Amino acid sequence: MPEVRIIAKNFMDMVASMPAMKLDKLYENGFICEAILRSLPPLAKKYVIQMLQIDVPVAAKLLEEWVLPDGVSKHRVAVDRLVQLRVFLEAVDRKNEKTYKVNPTYQRSLQKLLVQGGTLPRESMPSNITVRLPTLENLEAYALEQWEWFLLQLISPAQADKPLNISSSLMKVFQRRLLSQRDKEAPKLTESGFQFLLMDTNAQLWYIIREYISNSEERGVDAADLISFMLELSFHVIGEAYSISTLTDFQRSIINDLADLGLVKLQQGRKGSWFIPTKLATNLSMSLADSSSRKQGFVVVETNFRVYAYSTSKLHCEILRLFSRVEYQLPNLIVGAITKESLYNAFENGITADQIVTFIQQNAHPRVAERIPCVPENVTDQIRLWEADLNRVEMTDAYYYDEFPSRDVFEGACDCAREWNGLLWEDSKKMHMVVKTEVHPYVRDFLRRQK
Amino acid sequence: MGYGEKGGRPPFKKFKAFSKYQEDPRKGFAEDDDVYGSDDAYDDDEGKTKDFSKLELKQDHTNRPLWACGNGRIFLETFSPLYKQAYDFLIAIAEPVCRPESMHEYNLTPHSLYAAVSVGLETETVISVLNKLSKTKLPKEMIKFIHDSTANYGKVKLVLKKNRYFVESPFPEVLKTLLRDDAISRARIISENVNGDGFTISKAAGEIEGTHDELLNEAEVAAVAEEKETHSFEVDPSQVENVKQRCLPNALNYPMLEEYDFRNDTVNPDLDMELKPQAQPRPYQEKSLSKMFGNGRARSGIIVLPCGAGKSLVGVSAACRIKKSCLCLATNAVSVDQWAFQFKLWSTIREEQICRFTSDSKERFRGNAGVVVTTYNMVAFGGKRSEESEKIIEEIRNREWGLLLMDEVHVVPAHMFRKVISITKSHCKLGLTATLVREDERITDLNFLIGPKLYEANWLDLVKGGFIANVQCAEVWCPMTREFFAEYLKKENSKKRQALYVMNPNKFRACEFLINYHERARGDKIIVFADNLFALTEYAMKLRKPMIYGATSHVERTKILQAFKTSKDVNTIFLSKVGDNSIDIPEANVIIQISSHAGSRRQEAQRLGRILRAKGKLQDRMAGGKEEYNAFFYSLVSTDTQEMYYSTKRQQFLIDQGYSFKVITSLPPSDEGPSLNYYHLEDQLALLGKVLSAGDDAVGLEQLEEDADEIALNNARRSHGSMSAMSGAKGMLYMEYGTGRKGQGQIKSKPKDPAKRHFLFKRRYGAT
Repeated sequence: MPEVRIIAKNFMDMVASMPAMKLDKLYENGFICEAILRSLPPLAKKYVIQMLQIDVPVAAKLLEEWVLPDGVSKHRVAVDRLVQLRVFLEAVDRKNEKTYKVNPTYQRSLQKLLVQGGTLPRESMPSNITVRLPTLENLEAYALEQWEWFLLQLISPAQADKPLNISSSLMKVFQRRLLSQRDKEAPKLTESGFQFLLMDTNAQLWYIIREYISNSEERGVDAADLISFMLELSFHVIGEAYSISTLTDFQRSIINDLADLGLVKLQQGRKGSWFIPTKLATNLSMSLADSSSRKQGFVVVETNFRVYAYSTSKLHCEILRLFSRVEYQLPNLIVGAITKESLYNAFENGITADQIVTFIQQNAHPRVAERIPCVPENVTDQIRLWEADLNRVEMTDAYYYDEFPSRDVFEGACDCAREWNGLLWEDSKKMHMVVKTEVHPYVRDFLRRQK
Repeated sequence: MGYGEKGGRPPFKKFKAFSKYQEDPRKGFAEDDDVYGSDDAYDDDEGKTKDFSKLELKQDHTNRPLWACGNGRIFLETFSPLYKQAYDFLIAIAEPVCRPESMHEYNLTPHSLYAAVSVGLETETVISVLNKLSKTKLPKEMIKFIHDSTANYGKVKLVLKKNRYFVESPFPEVLKTLLRDDAISRARIISENVNGDGFTISKAAGEIEGTHDELLNEAEVAAVAEEKETHSFEVDPSQVENVKQRCLPNALNYPMLEEYDFRNDTVNPDLDMELKPQAQPRPYQEKSLSKMFGNGRARSGIIVLPCGAGKSLVGVSAACRIKKSCLCLATNAVSVDQWAFQFKLWSTIREEQICRFTSDSKERFRGNAGVVVTTYNMVAFGGKRSEESEKIIEEIRNREWGLLLMDEVHVVPAHMFRKVISITKSHCKLGLTATLVREDERITDLNFLIGPKLYEANWLDLVKGGFIANVQCAEVWCPMTREFFAEYLKKENSKKRQALYVMNPNKFRACEFLINYHERARGDKIIVFADNLFALTEYAMKLRKPMIYGATSHVERTKILQAFKTSKDVNTIFLSKVGDNSIDIPEANVIIQISSHAGSRRQEAQRLGRILRAKGKLQDRMAGGKEEYNAFFYSLVSTDTQEMYYSTKRQQFLIDQGYSFKVITSLPPSDEGPSLNYYHLEDQLALLGKVLSAGDDAVGLEQLEEDADEIALNNARRSHGSMSAMSGAKGMLYMEYGTGRKGQGQIKSKPKDPAKRHFLFKRRYGAT
């Protein structure tokens, strides 16, 4: 059994958590096998290649002998990962010893891929048919813009004036954990909603894809199909056009959703229509840690708590609104101020000082990014102090008693509450006391008995 | 006015103060508070986002340094290559709101535009330069506003030439409009040498200085530099005040600029004084002077420089350029001495040509020209004077002054200004100040009483240039002790609240720790400020340090300050708010503030100013020099009390200038233990008892006369106190006790009448 519990952090974790049956079915696709191989830690990669042509189980002990003593922990991680992903199958031999062998389906697919080379189910379309293909830069801009539209739609549906294709029911699924709506009020961001907005794009995308996949069964879609298509998509070349007619019916049904998320761009020519994968799509098979694509920062925070964001994006504006007071919106600049009130608002919504500080640090404008610290110390200190200030008060549900008939009764009640360890406060002069809610029934009983 | 309406207010505030301004000069100032409130943009339209995102961005917007909004707000990138030019231009036309490191904010106001026009910028120049610097097309509202505000400004000048007053304008039609007014036409003196319209025509030199013109193309520069024809008519000197009033915005709305053609003044005798060769004005001092003497004449106005940046040199230089008799007004006797000293230090003026006129020193004026240094009080005093001072004041009244030099203009109440200005006849008025903020926002009255703001320096730029000290500001959070906080919360102690949070033992310990640290570890000179007299005395007594407050006599003050400057044993002094202004203590480099005056932003800035004078070598102070910080400003606040709220408010001005306050929460360090006072609970309780048993009037604020902020902040509350407490006769006189060290004793306490001693001290001196 795997020794580490899986917390789905990236696509492969998602794959690993699928039932065995489905996994084996996935491994019939050579691309998925390659994607899995790519995602593995280096040592695990080596094991797979080494065992690929071995058809018999290999004893765990033997495997362990391959590494030097100081590599044991890495070895364990590698093997665990392989077992989680069912690339290695664990068994016990007659001598009651653990053995491993490569999953036969996986083995076959990968062997085939290595021998015959991989071919995508579709080839990119010749350039004489596809006209007006976007440049890579435009494509990236398109993807990010699309993604931002989607986010804006997600967090404040009223703001977005360009409707998306994603069905409202699917949108509700995405919003499920990010927004909460009470009765007729406008939906409010939840704690995880705030945190979601402060994450970087890859992390956000991953969250949405995970929701998309885990909800697939409800929509009558096979998660395995979905995963295999997405992984397949990540092997397509950015910026090339692929004909939509090569897609299966199922794939065609979801390609619009993917376009809304900015994973692909759809275009239509005179001779058919096609989709163009964007960077977001090809990044899918990477794990989070690999995402080195940092966006350029845009925020300048001054010592007087003023925030200047070089951005035209409504989304950025909304994000800034989460913790600051936006005062001016200029054509390419958003001006705001971090105030005690705005921060308290943020804290109330479950956003933490650290998240805010990290966000403004990570998105620091290149102009101030080289400065150390890039966010003035007094501002970060103050944000943390204000947060700490809020935590000074601890709330305890309690009951307040007064008008005791006599001092004896009062003292008796105090003792009673004390015995139960629930006396919060007493004023013996005026004979008032406050007890914890849990202790209230006992004190009440005590007082009844006094009568 | 499309954008403005969203905010629920008209985008620009209009002048309307002037109607009241005249009806009752004394009261008029105190009433309409909101009129000029536009300086404080933070309070404007709280919480509403102003959307100017529809403004059209120019193609090459990245090369241009600023954004201009329809409501007058301007944002300037300081990292733009055009920053320096843009800054000089903006400071001339707009009011700075905040100037931290990367982005400055300015507000275009009627006053700032008035100032712009009066230093010679024309409407079209303002608009075209602004348009060149702006990343977006200028909003229509802004263009209209500039037009509206400047249409009439700067068109008319009042010039004193050869002791005759002339109303001068390049636009004859404007003069005609003015003459249609009865009062003005009556005041006119018709001379023989006239043309068809009856106006004298002469040529006036164009602006010499060309910083703003660099941004214009050459044709435009040529137009500016071209000599202009001016038309003028003479007015009766006795009617000048009337004419001026008729021209104010509530009447004819052609506010007059006052200029003094001192080179052609042959009536008033010249004063033979030059700047000494070692007096080298710094670049920003030169710049401020060039704004004043831009066209060869002297303009009236205000120059704003941070404390310690050398305001007195600017004042002395101005007097040396005009070379006529000069009346210099300061806030108190100590600063009168300092001004007299500055004159002698920087200029070649002879000893007998300068005289001081205070209640203590009444030097008579000799010769036909000279410099008189006195206080506002002495001039404006309405009561009976001694025969001697009556004579001097008479001389001041009768003389025609070339320059009226006014120090710390922000502290003097408006009615006193009016009085001073009406008593003294001066050709040119120069106001000097460090902080053009006043809690009552009535600073704008100065615009019309003295003149527009001619120049304002950027604090951070001066710090970077090493001209003023780089100060590390810190707010020290001192938690209230249990017992003090319990008393603080009681309703019956509402009058003692201040005393309770100031006397908080944790604060005392923090203060003591800081004093010890700076005295011993760094050898610094420390000023401790306390507004609360009770606390001042308690702290000073307990720590055995000298103190100065309102009732301390002039002689005594001078002695203490002298000891602080020269003695190695006196490294800390305690000052009440008398020390806020103009007491020059160049040696000090640490300030500890234990109590302060509510939310006064000005006081905070003034106090910081006490340590801004740069010390040490210039290259060490410059950016990247050896010492990052060479001065320290600590503000001690008791947490969870009113002080926290005030403290945030007070710091606003400095924060807007780019200063940042670091919060320190762990002072004194916990291992200090009993080495500091009030470690033991019984000591703390004894202190608490003292605070609670003191009379309500004894623990309150110190009351000083003529404190404008005081009046503004305490608008509704008036404190009562016994006459003896007010006058200082309650025995709270300065005294010092032997510290047990040798060499001490430069300051001797005066022999005192034991009966007058404060009851707290009686016990100590029980034997006498």
